[in-house]
Amino acid sequence: MDDIDAMFSDLLGEMDLLTQSLGVETVPPASPSTSTKELNFSIGFTDLNESLNELEDNDLDALMADLVADLSATEEKLAAEMGTQKEPSPPPQHLPPPPLGLSTLPAPTLDSPTSPERSGGSRLSSPASSAASLSPPPPPQKSKPSKEDIEAQIKADKIKLALEKLKEAKVKKLVVKVLMNDGSSKTLMVDERQTVREVLDNLFEKTHCDCNVDWSLCETNPELQLERGFEDHENLVEPLSAWTRDSENKVLFQERQDKYEVFKNPQNYYLWKKNKKALQEIKDRDKELLIQENFCGTSIIVPDLEGALYLKEDGKKSWKQRLFQLRASGIYYVPKGKSKSSRDLVCFVQFDNVNVYYGKDFKSKYKAPTDFCFVLKHPQIQKESQYIKYLCCDDASSLNLWVTGIRIAKYGVAMYENYKTAMKKAAVTSVWTNRSTPSSSNQSTPSPTIKGKALGQANGHATKPEPGPVSKDFGNASPAPPPPPPPPLNEILPPPPPDPVLPPPPPSLPAKKTSPLPTNFPPPPPAMDSLPPPPLPPPVEDTSEAPPDFLPPPPPAAGFGSLPPPPPMMNSLPPPPPPACFGGVDQSLPPPPPDPGFLPPPPPQMLQGGGAGAPPPPPPPPPPPVAAPRAAIQPAGSVKKMPPPPPKRTTPSLHGGGGGGGGGGGDFMSELMKAMQKKRSDQ
Amino acid sequence: MAVWDLSVIVEDLGVDAPPLTIGVTSDLHIGGVILKLVEKTQIKRDWSDHALWWEQKQQWLLRTAWTLEKCGIHADARLVFMPQHKPLRLGLPNGITLRLRASFSSPVFHTVLEICKMLNIRHPEELSLLRPLEEKKKKKDKDSVEEIYDLTEVPLTSVSQPCLYNGMPAHFADSPKTEAVYKMLSVTLQPPAPEAIAKLYRPASVVDKAHINSRWLDSSRSLMQQGIRDNDRLWLRFKYFAFHDMEPKYDAVRLTQLYEQARWSILLEDIDCTEEEMMLFGALQYHISKVSQSEPQMLTSSAAMDDLESALQCLEVKMEGESSSASEMLENMTAPVLNDYLKIFRPKRLTLKGYKQYWFKFQDTSISYFKSKEESIGEPIQQINLKGCEVAPDVNVAAQKFLIRLLIPAPEGMNEVYLRCENEQQYAQWMAACRLASKGKTLADSSFQSEIESIRTFLAMQKTNSGSQGNAPTDDSINTHSLVSPRYHKKYKAKQLTPRILEAYQNVAQLSLTDALMRFLQIWQALPDFGISYVVVRFKGSRKDEVLGIAPNRLIRIDLGVGDVVKTWRYNNMRQWNVNWDIRQVAIEFDGNVNIAFSCVTADCKIVHEFIGGYIFMSTRSREKGNTLNEELFHKLTGGHEAL
Repeated sequence: MDDIDAMFSDLLGEMDLLTQSLGVETVPPASPSTSTKELNFSIGFTDLNESLNELEDNDLDALMADLVADLSATEEKLAAEMGTQKEPSPPPQHLPPPPLGLSTLPAPTLDSPTSPERSGGSRLSSPASSAASLSPPPPPQKSKPSKEDIEAQIKADKIKLALEKLKEAKVKKLVVKVLMNDGSSKTLMVDERQTVREVLDNLFEKTHCDCNVDWSLCETNPELQLERGFEDHENLVEPLSAWTRDSENKVLFQERQDKYEVFKNPQNYYLWKKNKKALQEIKDRDKELLIQENFCGTSIIVPDLEGALYLKEDGKKSWKQRLFQLRASGIYYVPKGKSKSSRDLVCFVQFDNVNVYYGKDFKSKYKAPTDFCFVLKHPQIQKESQYIKYLCCDDASSLNLWVTGIRIAKYGVAMYENYKTAMKKAAVTSVWTNRSTPSSSNQSTPSPTIKGKALGQANGHATKPEPGPVSKDFGNASPAPPPPPPPPLNEILPPPPPDPVLPPPPPSLPAKKTSPLPTNFPPPPPAMDSLPPPPLPPPVEDTSEAPPDFLPPPPPAAGFGSLPPPPPMMNSLPPPPPPACFGGVDQSLPPPPPDPGFLPPPPPQMLQGGGAGAPPPPPPPPPPPVAAPRAAIQPAGSVKKMPPPPPKRTTPSLHGGGGGGGGGGGDFMSELMKAMQKKRSDQ
Repeated sequence: MAVWDLSVIVEDLGVDAPPLTIGVTSDLHIGGVILKLVEKTQIKRDWSDHALWWEQKQQWLLRTAWTLEKCGIHADARLVFMPQHKPLRLGLPNGITLRLRASFSSPVFHTVLEICKMLNIRHPEELSLLRPLEEKKKKKDKDSVEEIYDLTEVPLTSVSQPCLYNGMPAHFADSPKTEAVYKMLSVTLQPPAPEAIAKLYRPASVVDKAHINSRWLDSSRSLMQQGIRDNDRLWLRFKYFAFHDMEPKYDAVRLTQLYEQARWSILLEDIDCTEEEMMLFGALQYHISKVSQSEPQMLTSSAAMDDLESALQCLEVKMEGESSSASEMLENMTAPVLNDYLKIFRPKRLTLKGYKQYWFKFQDTSISYFKSKEESIGEPIQQINLKGCEVAPDVNVAAQKFLIRLLIPAPEGMNEVYLRCENEQQYAQWMAACRLASKGKTLADSSFQSEIESIRTFLAMQKTNSGSQGNAPTDDSINTHSLVSPRYHKKYKAKQLTPRILEAYQNVAQLSLTDALMRFLQIWQALPDFGISYVVVRFKGSRKDEVLGIAPNRLIRIDLGVGDVVKTWRYNNMRQWNVNWDIRQVAIEFDGNVNIAFSCVTADCKIVHEFIGGYIFMSTRSREKGNTLNEELFHKLTGGHEAL
């Protein structure tokens, strides 16, 4: 990852240079209103191509990684959105027909490039999405079909190589829809190396909640009526990957009292046998001591739990009471007629391969004696099975004791470390959440428009990918991919499907951007609308989820502490910069804003602006590097996209040239597509 | 002032030598007496360690400035002039006996301090000395000639500065002999023979365990005062189970001895654990003994050379690998594969189908199988990803049964699959592959070979166990009975035990020696009964004996009959505690006006007092304070009236 980050910053630096050299000229070209978008795009591609030539293989790799990531992100997003479309409110995921699994994200999301099978759906989408991105360029292409095939070939080879390397470093990414307390949802991309803690941090920035330590991500399994809070150190992708395709499981973002209660009131767990009154009066010093004793020694001490629990008998509806004991090594029970001495205990379960879940409403589902139930099962088990162990406690406090006790036994010191990190985070973030709040409000407006587009696209898309995740789709897809690139180019805008794809991602950007430059904002949406036909349908839902979330970059924002709205900043910045940089001029030019909206390009512009000497621009460049460390690839990806746009501006003077460049870009992209297709089919 | 005769026995002159008589006056100070004595003996040597011991009063006359009058010594006093440091046979937690010179004149606390300094054990306050169990001297067999590691030659003066030389304290580096002793101290011993475990005393009840605690020596009095004489046997043990600042880098001896003590407490059922825990302890012992044998000790002088050698070996292997074409090597590195005919069986309800043979292919973390080798290019009949699955052996070497039982998680539950291998070799490979895959590792993982090795070793163990017992065990084979307490010797035959331990072993097989030691200690410390020292007491107002458990952070009142915990009191709620030395009663006051009082039945109340004070002392230690040990505070907290 470090390498990629390094490459990325190299790339940025190069972009910077390019942009600076052309910076002055950029302004005028932008003015061409409607056509500008296309022009810009084409230009961008040319530049991209040029810069590609300059790049070392390494850099190419990095770039490819981003592209691929973006593609897959788009696909997934689309898939997710499709899901949402059908059922706006909570679990859009089920809606999507059979492949729904996809919509839930986990399955398909994997490495889109690597896995051919999965991509049945994704393949289609990927080409489409790529096409979409290309769509803008189409016009230019026509103008410039001249690019050398040979060069393209070389590029293709390099890309192939890049893809191969990519495969090696395949990083699984999921687009995850997280449900909020208020019924809305956020969609974000999570790669497999990200911990729940990092995802939470992301969400903190997007939701402007109070960041207290109780905020958790949890998964629900409606079929089994289970619920479990993820631990902060877990990788989020792994448990989600265990979901089935047609799973109705959800990820929730909510405050959970029980998450770290043991560190806030350790006496309730470690001294639970004492009378309640004494426990309430316990001094802070004594609490600390308890934590010291149990979590800071050479060994983690598990609360001393022993008591009668009801156990659901295998395959029956009856519950049998047994005397259970919690030990660090597992849960044991006392066999009938035996003593409670350790050597007579029978092991009921050990924790290596199971997680603990709360059971919801088991009284009616399984005729449990009470509704205070918990379950132990292998995370991969998603349906009823004899390998699931159902236990029932007498009351809520005993349930809490057992579940927490099991978590301590299973996770040990990691839990305490998580708590300490969460505390630090809570202290730090509370400060800047306040700052950023204003931006959030802005977001809402832009996002709806975007969504509309996204939906339209999604629909079109959805039909294709979803139906045919299988080989059939593949067949279609394979032919499709090569064609798509050319069509968009030639056809110009007409090919609605591709276009729609693009809009979704950009919207998110614009939305954020809007906050800084409200004036610009209005224009982009209209432009967008004009392009994509059906944005109307379900704006509301969409707004909540899709656009903003997509940008993983938020984390990087943190780096920008200096700027008022750090998290939003990142996103918001890209668009604004262009206008800002150019000052009054930009504003006069409505087109530029839309462009940024479409493509991440704006950011590059930012860079240019920086060259121009505009104050705002400078900040943007720093973010990318900052972002990289935290969000790893994702931020980088988002950032990278942006780079291409800048070139557009720089190139403005060369309209004709730009067109040619566009054509080249088209070739390049088509090559890329081919390469990817090949890659897939090879696999 | 009148001169009177004082007769003094000088130990160095021999047992039968008559006492020396010197003329003294009552205002002569002790130093003067010693001077006169030394002149009288006419022996030229270093007398600086010698002091006077007053036999009737059982006390040392260490204040040389005090006059005879002040000490209350008259002509009838029987004084012995002898060295303060005398040889002591010291039983260590690992069962080895050392012979070393220890101070017989300073409080035991300080004596332990000196001993630990010599042995290079940090935090000596956690250890103490106790009288060993009376050994039944019925058999005067070889055991009486037990090997004793002699450290009496180590000059005491050199111990003061524990500077490291060759990875060990300088005073051990003097001779090969002492180097060997240090190695013995810092390296875990091989598992004992099962018979040896069975022969040792095992406490059968809480009361038995309570009796052990009656044997601790008083920390505030000297060995001499407690009736210990030269060459007597004592045990050195960790007494306070609050191990401060454990640092494997500096604590080689401490860690090793603590491990040994923990191991024996498990083997002798001094502390209770469940069967599953026992198997894990067994697996860790096995692993530790194996690794400590094979791993070049950092302590040996040739450690650097060993490192170099192994590095060279690695290099060689690499070079060899490179001889093949680069692509081939890449292939090897990226996609190692196992291919073979195996038999598979999937138990399903109402099926009696037996094992069916297929061509199996193991790649990454998945198994795929095909009808035959020839068809292996096409689509497999099935592909099974083993990530996250449970792997269990079902092996009987004698019957040539080599089964791998797989429980594979799926959304619908766990799928049970059996793979049958033809022979040991095949089994070891596939089993190792399954194990790695269950943890998400591929065959390319570096641990693959070692995994295969350990499986083979275990198979070998089964063989020797099932074979005639008379065979001398080879290096590789350890009787699994020596890894568990005698209870399990009866419950399981060795060949039944082996797979159970092997199962637990998969989870620890990759640990380094230090990590394995630490893991053992962690699991030990996580046992519910860990760190509790028992004493039988009679609570005030109660008519029956009960057990008081003294833990690092609390006192526990335990019902003697049932073994249930009746009540616990934490030290941090303790206001004060007192000992009424006349009626030998301990009284404790806790927050909230809770008062308890008890008299001690199995141990002296000084021992209980010392335990409580000792634990409170342990809790006052902090990392920031560095290594200075507040001896004074310890005595204040544990000394009782004698300290004052």
